[in-house]
Amino acid sequence: MTQSFRLKDIGLINRNKKLSFKFNGKKYYGYEGDSLASALIANGVHLIGRSFKYHRPRGFFGAGVDEPYAIVQLYRNGETEPNIKATEQELFDGLEATSVNCWPSVNFDIGAINNFLRIFLPAGFYYKTFMWPKSFWFKIYEPFIRKAAGLGTVSIKHDKERYEHKYEYCDLLIAGSGPSGLASAYAAAKNGARVILAEDKSRFGGTLLTSEVNIGNKSGKEWADGIISELKEMPNVTVKNRSQVFGYYDHNMLVMSERVSDHLPKTKDFHPKQRLWYIRAKEVLISSGSIERPIVFGNNDTPGVMLSSAAKEYMKVYGVLVGKNPLIFTNNDSGYETAIEFKKNGIDPLILDTRSNPKSEIINEAQDLDIKIKYSYVVVAAQGYKKVKSADIAKISDDKEQLGNIENVKCDCICVSGYWTPTIHLASQSGNKTKFNEEIDAFVPGKSKQNEKTLGAANGIYTLEETLKDSFKIGSEVSKKITNNENKVSFPNVVEKKSSIHDKFWCVPLPKGKNYKRFLDFQNDVAVSDIEIALREGYRSIEHVKRYTTLGMATDQGKTSNLNGLQLVSKIENKVVPAVGHTTFRPPYTPVSIGAIVGREVGKHSKPTRKSPMHSWHEKNNAVFVDAGVWLRPRYYKRGNEDLFEASKREAKNVRTNVGVCDVTTLGKIDIKGPDAAELLNRVYTNAWLKLPVGKARYGVMLREDGIVMDDGTTTRISENHYHMTTTTAQAANVLSHLEYYLQLVWPELNVNVVSSTEQWAGAAIAGPKSRNLLQKLFPNSDVSNEGLPFMGYMEGDLFGVKARIFRISFSGELAYEVNVESNNGNFMWEKIIEVGEQFEIQPYGTEALSTLRIEMGHVAGSELDGRTIPYDNSLEGLLSKKKDFIGKRSLIREAFTAEDRQKVVGVVPLDKKTSIPEGSHLVKDSKAPSPNPKLGYISASCWSVEYDNPFSLAILKDGKNMIGEKLFVMSPLKNKIIPVEIVSSHYVDPKGERVRS
Amino acid sequence: MLHIKCPHCGMRSQNEFSYGGDASVKRPELGKDISDQDWNNFVYNRKSLRGKHWELWQHLAGCRQWIKVERDTGSHEIFKTLKAEEEIS
Amino acid sequence: MQKYSVFSLIKNALSNHENWDLAWKDPTPKKEYDVVIIGGGGHGLATAYYLAKEHNITNVAIIEKGWIGGGNVGRNTTIIRSNYMYDENALFSEFGMNLWRKMSQDLNYNVMFSPRGIINLAHSDAQMNVYARRGNSMRLNGIDAVLLNREQVKEIIPMADFSENVRFPIFGGLMQPSAGTARHDAVAWGYARQADSMGVDIIQNCEVIGFDISAGKIKGIRTSRGEIKAKKIGLCVAGSTNILAEKLNMTLPIETHLLQACVSEPVKPVLDNVVTFGAGHFYISQSDKGEMVMGGDLDGYNSYAQRGNLPTLQHVLTEGIAMMPFLSKLKMLRTWGGIMDMSMDGSPIIDKTHIQGLYLNCGWCYGGFKATPASGWTFAHTIAQDRVHELNAGYSLNRFNTGHLLDEKGLGTKTWIS
Repeated sequence: MTQSFRLKDIGLINRNKKLSFKFNGKKYYGYEGDSLASALIANGVHLIGRSFKYHRPRGFFGAGVDEPYAIVQLYRNGETEPNIKATEQELFDGLEATSVNCWPSVNFDIGAINNFLRIFLPAGFYYKTFMWPKSFWFKIYEPFIRKAAGLGTVSIKHDKERYEHKYEYCDLLIAGSGPSGLASAYAAAKNGARVILAEDKSRFGGTLLTSEVNIGNKSGKEWADGIISELKEMPNVTVKNRSQVFGYYDHNMLVMSERVSDHLPKTKDFHPKQRLWYIRAKEVLISSGSIERPIVFGNNDTPGVMLSSAAKEYMKVYGVLVGKNPLIFTNNDSGYETAIEFKKNGIDPLILDTRSNPKSEIINEAQDLDIKIKYSYVVVAAQGYKKVKSADIAKISDDKEQLGNIENVKCDCICVSGYWTPTIHLASQSGNKTKFNEEIDAFVPGKSKQNEKTLGAANGIYTLEETLKDSFKIGSEVSKKITNNENKVSFPNVVEKKSSIHDKFWCVPLPKGKNYKRFLDFQNDVAVSDIEIALREGYRSIEHVKRYTTLGMATDQGKTSNLNGLQLVSKIENKVVPAVGHTTFRPPYTPVSIGAIVGREVGKHSKPTRKSPMHSWHEKNNAVFVDAGVWLRPRYYKRGNEDLFEASKREAKNVRTNVGVCDVTTLGKIDIKGPDAAELLNRVYTNAWLKLPVGKARYGVMLREDGIVMDDGTTTRISENHYHMTTTTAQAANVLSHLEYYLQLVWPELNVNVVSSTEQWAGAAIAGPKSRNLLQKLFPNSDVSNEGLPFMGYMEGDLFGVKARIFRISFSGELAYEVNVESNNGNFMWEKIIEVGEQFEIQPYGTEALSTLRIEMGHVAGSELDGRTIPYDNSLEGLLSKKKDFIGKRSLIREAFTAEDRQKVVGVVPLDKKTSIPEGSHLVKDSKAPSPNPKLGYISASCWSVEYDNPFSLAILKDGKNMIGEKLFVMSPLKNKIIPVEIVSSHYVDPKGERVRS
Repeated sequence: MLHIKCPHCGMRSQNEFSYGGDASVKRPELGKDISDQDWNNFVYNRKSLRGKHWELWQHLAGCRQWIKVERDTGSHEIFKTLKAEEEIS
Repeated sequence: MQKYSVFSLIKNALSNHENWDLAWKDPTPKKEYDVVIIGGGGHGLATAYYLAKEHNITNVAIIEKGWIGGGNVGRNTTIIRSNYMYDENALFSEFGMNLWRKMSQDLNYNVMFSPRGIINLAHSDAQMNVYARRGNSMRLNGIDAVLLNREQVKEIIPMADFSENVRFPIFGGLMQPSAGTARHDAVAWGYARQADSMGVDIIQNCEVIGFDISAGKIKGIRTSRGEIKAKKIGLCVAGSTNILAEKLNMTLPIETHLLQACVSEPVKPVLDNVVTFGAGHFYISQSDKGEMVMGGDLDGYNSYAQRGNLPTLQHVLTEGIAMMPFLSKLKMLRTWGGIMDMSMDGSPIIDKTHIQGLYLNCGWCYGGFKATPASGWTFAHTIAQDRVHELNAGYSLNRFNTGHLLDEKGLGTKTWIS
């Protein structure tokens, strides 16, 4: 077939560029500027898919964003995209698409059996059945329903496309480039305001592209083109097509998605597929127009039934006929415009007007053109299965209750106009409480909530002259407030045909004895009868109706169904429409690609990665890394075929016997200065800080106000009023905010400044019996003897010309030091340590060995300080000052925190001294007790003690202080392990702490 | 995204700030006797009503100052922002 | 009451569906009730049902400001699980799981309970150990839990990111196979229909304006539809708890926050399980309709607005793509927000109060939906017997005074951090 429905001389498509595409495997041709929908219609294709529930044939209903059912699976550049509206997809060469929700084909669909069973499948049927036998729901019924549901398919391949974000500020954001958008943008731009004009479609102009009007002696389209090209030239104006403002968020933040590449066969290199714009606008003008409303009648979902405005758009924009024997069914003058357009293109339409005796210029014109018109007539039902073949029509009484004799007229399409519904989504999203306008039978925006105004048809103004006048005025006024400029724009002369009033008729009654489905929601198959059932069963709130029937919950979000649904409920419940209410609109206005919302933060970039200055050295030396928050830390340095266990044992052992070096750059560091610094520390930490001498470090624990341990670390007094605090890697940011909170809000009288210095210092922990020997070589000019630099001492030193800070602190429990240099010198320091350390058999060690060393020493860390334990639990109660108050102290006296049998950290050794104890296991008295088996505690950390060469664990155990020597069982049902253990002191190695002082 | 006026830096987007909860909570003075009830009110109990709410934000990606913000918890309208040391009126 | 079955469906189809009964009536409030439940959400409706069914107390009214099921029972991501670490939470939830398993039959309403399993992904060995602690605790409490390694996870959810280009590789996960989802609205409607049939008055569009208390005893409530006397009153209004607490001169360890969720457009089945991300806060399942149901972090500041902000959704979906990169090809169809009672230790409160005859059910954080049956059951018990059941003994209001906290996540009192 070769575009037999394509008109000759009309439309905005580029006939010089022919494009080929495939639908359901068959090849067709269209033109540049076509939508997939228009190209298919040009080829006479109207069967596009199948409906969600009954699998009834589906064609085209609209021509744009409101389309409920022309949904296809798209294939583009080796990828497939589900649920693409054919009306929104621009045609490109080589496009391929297929129908969804049908099997084996759209033409012959097995699922259509549901259509014959439909009387058994009313709204909510699934709540009433599929309950027996009990296990069948999950095993039989649900899998069947899941397979039947869903529309398109998504592949689980990773997305190759790229999406970008853009942040923008402007004076005015104008959403929609129809007459009101253009007029207001022009007036505002002339006043010098920074304007962004956004148009969802590829072409600017909105209804001006299809209406027969005259503005300043130009056609609507010519006028629109003129304005747009003028706007594009202005430096203060950004004009964007293919850009949908989909969300109106708080404080005048609007979000727009720009479809940069979806209309191309493939995204160009280094271009995004889509771009998301976050726009903070001073003022927002909503010029989003209106959407034509359907009239509800029997089988109104048959392919070939469509909105009359869509039929007109297909002719005027795409040069395509939706049918050659059209029936126009209208309750207002809009249907006449479509009929006249048909007539002009040599097609004879028949108009059915629900009104008895309407009079207007446009009706006169239709009559003058000899168009056949039947007044007080309605379509009772469409006939035909996969395409409209004829229509049952009848005269209707003035009260709209009685139908006359049914007549059948041949037709191949039915173009429906039930008047216009303003697109108020953005206004509603902004918080605007919308109001019902009786005159147009629809909701319009009420009082502005944020800085927004709604113009033209979106505000219920349906004449062009008024729209333009209003929009010029508002555009000028709003911009003048911002720029203080006023450049008068002369108002053009407008010629348009005056309309008569519409008939508030929206649903054709059923003829006696007939049981046609009359659909409200075309995608979700919600019919009038479904709403009736919901109300009959007491689901009376409009929200209950929606949820019970799924009205308006499809991918078109009810753009054509919501208002008719409300009308039906209001009629049955005998309430006015506003009393029935309507759902508040939430973003997005149309579905938005998740990729666009996320932008570039995908894959490896989904979160930042922080690396120490020594990272590349670690890489070169076979480090295996572990994520520590967003930091990467060496977990162990692999030698040969070693695994984690062997390597970490080797590294830990070397620390215990020789010397090791560990990258501790990731520890949080906070520089604290000021005369009251000691007082701050004294309030923040649980122990005493006022008497710490210069050149000394101290270990401290800080609590949250609820008494739970927040963090621990050492703080060193560098000079009189200068301290260097370290935090754990995980809590670094929280601790800084915590200090700032107290300094700024609670104790502003303290004269102290705090600043993060984590990035400023690279740190290396040097630990092991030979660490002092190494230090002496590294700092030959410093006295690092036990007397010169005692345990918890601090000094500055010169590391081959680099200034260094040396702390004698230990996490490993060995004689140990921590050396800090400025980050730039981190790698230099590290290489020097390794180089000089060679003679002492130095080895770098990772976090795994670090864990082993701290566990067997009984030092608590993150797995014990997990946001649920208090100092006592961690055997840190010795650090609680009795003399002074500190953050969180008052919470510690609570009953549960002081209970005699309160949990406490202990050591755990397997009785066989062989079996490793999995972390996360629990301790029980009786391994054979039935569930729930009382748990006495849990294993917080496990290691292979390199000191004793047997497994050792730390546990937080109920009544831990009285449990030393007890025999219990460790249970890990997940790993199927039951291990008899003995409870020992948590200080397994060097309980007196002699090594660190040696 | 909220638009918050930092009293030090001017209008900034919400993503530069971190939230800090009810600003009307006053930490009891250190070292003073306090009843269980008063302590619990400080640590745990919050009014958290709909409507005007004085709350703390920290301009984390800016000046790092804690500020006080009066915001409507229903509409998110912001009425007033204050520096840390300024008293809520 | 009409029994729902395939036979009743056929029978009614043949009479054009014109003879279906009301699922619940729309009565005028009486002057006095034995028990008034404030809040026609899932928990309130379940409480009324169990008061009637288990305690034979049927002179009960449910007072709902809007429409029943309009709060969080209709605004959640429908996940049902009992994968808790603390005994108090685990045993309570597992009791609830048993009620879920037979709910459709009990209520004669298909709530579509679907035990499709929940997988919590772990992204480091340390996290595997944290999960093991919880999983072992579950197993010792008689709850099903399985620890999966990377390969096992890949077999079940191959669409998760197992590529090289990943920030937080998947190490494994903790799975509760018997966890799952249910159809949220059906739960509210099913409870409402049965409660109504046993004599409970469901009163919608009725706002509580104040409470009548004298000599430390509750006497009744003042509503937009007049005064209603009651011997006992149960407060069951998660999301509005603080508003009613103020009318009672109570200040509670609860802050009110907004949690958003969203769904994608419907696609053919691709994901069978509920999956949660371990390197952030994101969860996903695919509904029977085909929509991906997704949620994550709170909006991050006190809120009563049922409208959320986009940065939070962006953050949540970023984690979604980090976990399952194919999601980026789907379109976000609908977003909504639910107003949460965020308690100061992340666990709920079901307890008596200092006012005699007034009972409190609140603080559900994000865990309210799955708790619906167990919450209703224990709250009904607490009201009927005027004492807490051992299942909700841990959910006392007093625990903040005594320090018996139930902080599963260890996040403390910063309720806005999730």
